[in-house]
Amino acid sequence: MPDLQTIGLSHYLIVGAIMFVCGAVCMATKRNALGVLMGIELVLNGANVNFVAFGSDFLRRNPAYGIGLDGQIIALFVIVLAAAEAAVALAIVLNFYNNHSTVDVDRADELKG
Amino acid sequence: MSWHALEFYFLALMACAFALAVVFAANVVRMAFYLILSLGATAGLFFLAGADFVGAMQLMMYVGGTLVLLVFGVMLTAQGPWVSIRTSGGEWVLAALVGGSLLAVLVPTAMRLDPAPNHEHAAVPGTAHKSENKAPDAKASTEPQTTRPTATRIGLGLIGAPTSGTSGYLLPFEAISIHLLVVLIGAAYLARPKRRARPKLVESDEA
Amino acid sequence: MEASVLLPNLLLFAWLLPLASFALILFFGPRMGKAGKGASYVATGAILCSLVLSLSALMVWTGRHGVWFDEHESGSAHAKEGAHESSEKGEPVKTKHAKNEEAAAKNASKAAATTAGKNEYEGNWYNLVGFGKLKLSIGWYIDSLTVIMFVMVSIIASCIHFYSIGYMHDELHEVTDHEVTLADGHHLHRPGRFHRFFQYLSLFCFSMFGIVIAGNIAMVFVFWELVGICSYFLIGFYFERKSASTAANKAFIVNRVGDFGMIIGMCALFGALGTFSFGGKDGIFQQVRPGMVDGDEHGHALRVPDGMVVAAAEKSIAAGQTPDAKQISAWRNSGLGYGLLIVAGLGIFCGCMGKSAQFPLHVWLPDAMEGPTPVSALVHSATMVAAGVYLVGRFYPVFTPEVLLVIAIVGCITLFMAATIAITAVDIKRVLAYSTLSQLGYMMFALGVGGWVAGILHLITHAFFKSLLFMCSGSVIHAVHTNDMREMGGLRKKMPITAYTMLVGCLAIIGAGLPLVAGLSGYYSKDAILAQALLHRDYNKTFAALFYIAAGGAAITAFYMFRLWYMTFSGKPRNHHCYDHAHESPPVMWIPLVVLSFFAIFVATPSLSDFRNPASGPLVNMLEQARPPGTLAAQTGAWAKVTIPDEHGSHHHDYHVPAGLIAFCTAMSGLLLATAIYCWRLVKPEEVKQMFGPLYSFLWGKWWFDELYNLIFVRPVLAIGHAIAELDRLGIDGVINGSARAVMGFSNWFDAWIDRTFVDGSVNFMARKIFGLGLAMREIQTGRLRQYVVLIVVGTVALFLVATFAIAR
Repeated sequence: MPDLQTIGLSHYLIVGAIMFVCGAVCMATKRNALGVLMGIELVLNGANVNFVAFGSDFLRRNPAYGIGLDGQIIALFVIVLAAAEAAVALAIVLNFYNNHSTVDVDRADELKG
Repeated sequence: MSWHALEFYFLALMACAFALAVVFAANVVRMAFYLILSLGATAGLFFLAGADFVGAMQLMMYVGGTLVLLVFGVMLTAQGPWVSIRTSGGEWVLAALVGGSLLAVLVPTAMRLDPAPNHEHAAVPGTAHKSENKAPDAKASTEPQTTRPTATRIGLGLIGAPTSGTSGYLLPFEAISIHLLVVLIGAAYLARPKRRARPKLVESDEA
Repeated sequence: MEASVLLPNLLLFAWLLPLASFALILFFGPRMGKAGKGASYVATGAILCSLVLSLSALMVWTGRHGVWFDEHESGSAHAKEGAHESSEKGEPVKTKHAKNEEAAAKNASKAAATTAGKNEYEGNWYNLVGFGKLKLSIGWYIDSLTVIMFVMVSIIASCIHFYSIGYMHDELHEVTDHEVTLADGHHLHRPGRFHRFFQYLSLFCFSMFGIVIAGNIAMVFVFWELVGICSYFLIGFYFERKSASTAANKAFIVNRVGDFGMIIGMCALFGALGTFSFGGKDGIFQQVRPGMVDGDEHGHALRVPDGMVVAAAEKSIAAGQTPDAKQISAWRNSGLGYGLLIVAGLGIFCGCMGKSAQFPLHVWLPDAMEGPTPVSALVHSATMVAAGVYLVGRFYPVFTPEVLLVIAIVGCITLFMAATIAITAVDIKRVLAYSTLSQLGYMMFALGVGGWVAGILHLITHAFFKSLLFMCSGSVIHAVHTNDMREMGGLRKKMPITAYTMLVGCLAIIGAGLPLVAGLSGYYSKDAILAQALLHRDYNKTFAALFYIAAGGAAITAFYMFRLWYMTFSGKPRNHHCYDHAHESPPVMWIPLVVLSFFAIFVATPSLSDFRNPASGPLVNMLEQARPPGTLAAQTGAWAKVTIPDEHGSHHHDYHVPAGLIAFCTAMSGLLLATAIYCWRLVKPEEVKQMFGPLYSFLWGKWWFDELYNLIFVRPVLAIGHAIAELDRLGIDGVINGSARAVMGFSNWFDAWIDRTFVDGSVNFMARKIFGLGLAMREIQTGRLRQYVVLIVVGTVALFLVATFAIAR
């Protein structure tokens, strides 16, 4: 068990893992396209937590794992990509809604084999 | 238990709880709300980890930008039956199983990264002095700098001036700028109002 | 300028001008004036220039050599003449032996004379190739015969060019050929071919001049064939008509038979002598008669050339004997090589036989009348067919007595056979065609019995009067639009100029004249032939029949010629439609007739100073200049028992007078018979026809030569061809088809078994499996987004577990 008193790398990682799994489950269960989108945001956020945690100097951890400021810069890139992805995804969803009058992703199975 | 730990637990709990709330909420509007809270709590976690600039960006772009976009989407599509779509129980079980197994894989891995308690030399603010004496390695020597705000260093890193331990990111920065531009144009194109052929037909009928 | 430079150049231009005209018309013919009318002016202008050049050459020649024999010779000739007369008084009937002696003496004097003057020019313009011994060149061999032939051909060709302008005017516009019916029942319409006609005429003139001027036998052969192809084009001028195209093919194929023999002769000459050229130091003539060029007194007699002796003595040489001069002369005396000389002579004569339509190969000439009439006049009566006679004359020194005997026999058969067929023919042009055959037979006969000058003289005179006759007949045909004499009659009143010029032609061909005084051109040539034949009879009793046949032929000639004239021009018109339609031809057509009739009368006239001597005419004397030395001597064959007499012997009164009287009597009898039947109508022709029924049908069927050839050559060839075709179809095709079928069967089986089972099988198997796999995988591909997410997560977990538990260890 990790040390509960001193907040270390693994604490953050566990939080990131939980958020990641929540995002994944959200993507797997929500039939609303926007719900799926939110799941993606959660997944990305979980990943971001990991990046920041690895790049942080304020956490207790094995110094070999440190990546310095790179972690934060990558986190910034991820945030920007997430924003871009959200914009495109929303445009797709709106398009889908215009054509099908629904946002149910189960109805979008035209590419099935 | 230090304030640092308390704050961490509070924020971590909030982030996890609201993430779970997003999963379990049926109404898409509520989901959006829970997501805002979850992301906000994550931003708090970033501040706690010393990444002040990233945390600010998290708040500004995620909470202020992306989620506003999402809420717009919700507002544009959430009409009547589509606000909440139920999912069957079987799928829930399957998702839970899969998610649980993933969690079961990830959490122990995260645990294993924790260094053994006996040779503790992590750069924790409270223990900084002690560790400096014990293990005067490269990380420790840079510690006085880490207390400063990171925004300047990040900015320098992004424009390509490598600072201590940070490589230049000018090229990815430029790439992501172009990417953003393309994405915006693409999004505008995809979401543009469709011109219907009907008026034309009517015209031709009249003619 | 020296004649040796001037003559070749003058004749060169006379020769090449028609070629230039041909090329011009070939490329620009249709654009020359309206419908190619300008082509006629180009061609006529070219041949007129040739005529002028030829006449200049004639003047150059006479300026250098004189019209008369030769200064040196004429003296001795006169002396001889005196000797003749004295001997005539002394001993009216000479023995053969005495004659031989006299001939030998004459030969010696002649030989002495020839050393003084050079009577021929030869040289090369251009060497085509030279491989070792083989030298092909474009060269000239000019003697007075060449010059005379040039003048003769150009005069007749000029007349015919003018005549054709009038005769062919139908071709200036669109032509409707009434003799060709198309599949849809209409008559053929075609564009006029005026310019093409003149194009061929020009090519023909070029080729004919080429034969005459040629300095070697290879060049002769080339132009020989060119003349043949011109003849082919012109006979087939109306090639849409089946008969015309068949006739053209027939002429061409029959000539090939003759040319085959000619090639054999050329091979024999070249193989043994190693040269093609006539004259020169090592030319053919020099090798055969060494005295001809170097003036060796004893060299004029025919001598088997060294090359042939060596070729014949191959075995002895192989046995080790060296062919030195002594050995060669020994071999020669033993008779070696003589056969080769005969083969060469017969081969060359074979070509002449084809071209001059002699007995076995005569069948093409009557059919050649399918061509337009000017063509018949120029090509098939006056010049081209005479080329064979000319070549025999040119090659005369090479012929042994045996070959000459063959020539005489062939000529005799031809003249008699053709004359008899002409009696029954009713197509006006065919009568003339058979008459041509008959006269060509006379020429060959004359050459064969030793009458070199007589034969060539007849060639010249015949050319004039036969072209005249043909053009007259063309004029008639042009007026009445039929060839059938039974449709004509009484045309004398309608077309007097044609009638009387034709009468001149008829009189010339039968050799009319006051016996022993004067006559038309034919009178002199025919008398000379008969006199020579009479002399030949005295020398060779075995072959006496030749003379009687020739004399009888003269009577038949007179009969059929006047039958033609009476049927056409006298009496009452038989077909009033034709008669009313008839009219005299335009001046462009009748002026040539008048010109030619002038020549037909006067061309062989003797000199005024010595009018009663037929051998004193300028033409005869010029021909005497060209006489191959040595031919004046009587010569006896080594193999056959035949003696070719000296030609001057026939000038003796003993032969000249009886021959003239015989010729006159036979001609008059034929003329009287024709007049009795066709003019006075004492006997009806139909009754005669019935009286001689079988004979008539035999003659009507042209001695059944076509049927005979059909039976002997055409049918068997066709039968063999069919048999071989059957063999091909059944045997060879069968084998090939069978093997093809077998291979096809095998490959089908192979295809079915190997290909389908293994190749297709494996491919299909894989395809089926992959298809099945795809179907199975398709089930996974649900298109449901959330399921994919689940799968991604599952995959991640699996990867994680693998990484943790499998790889980490």
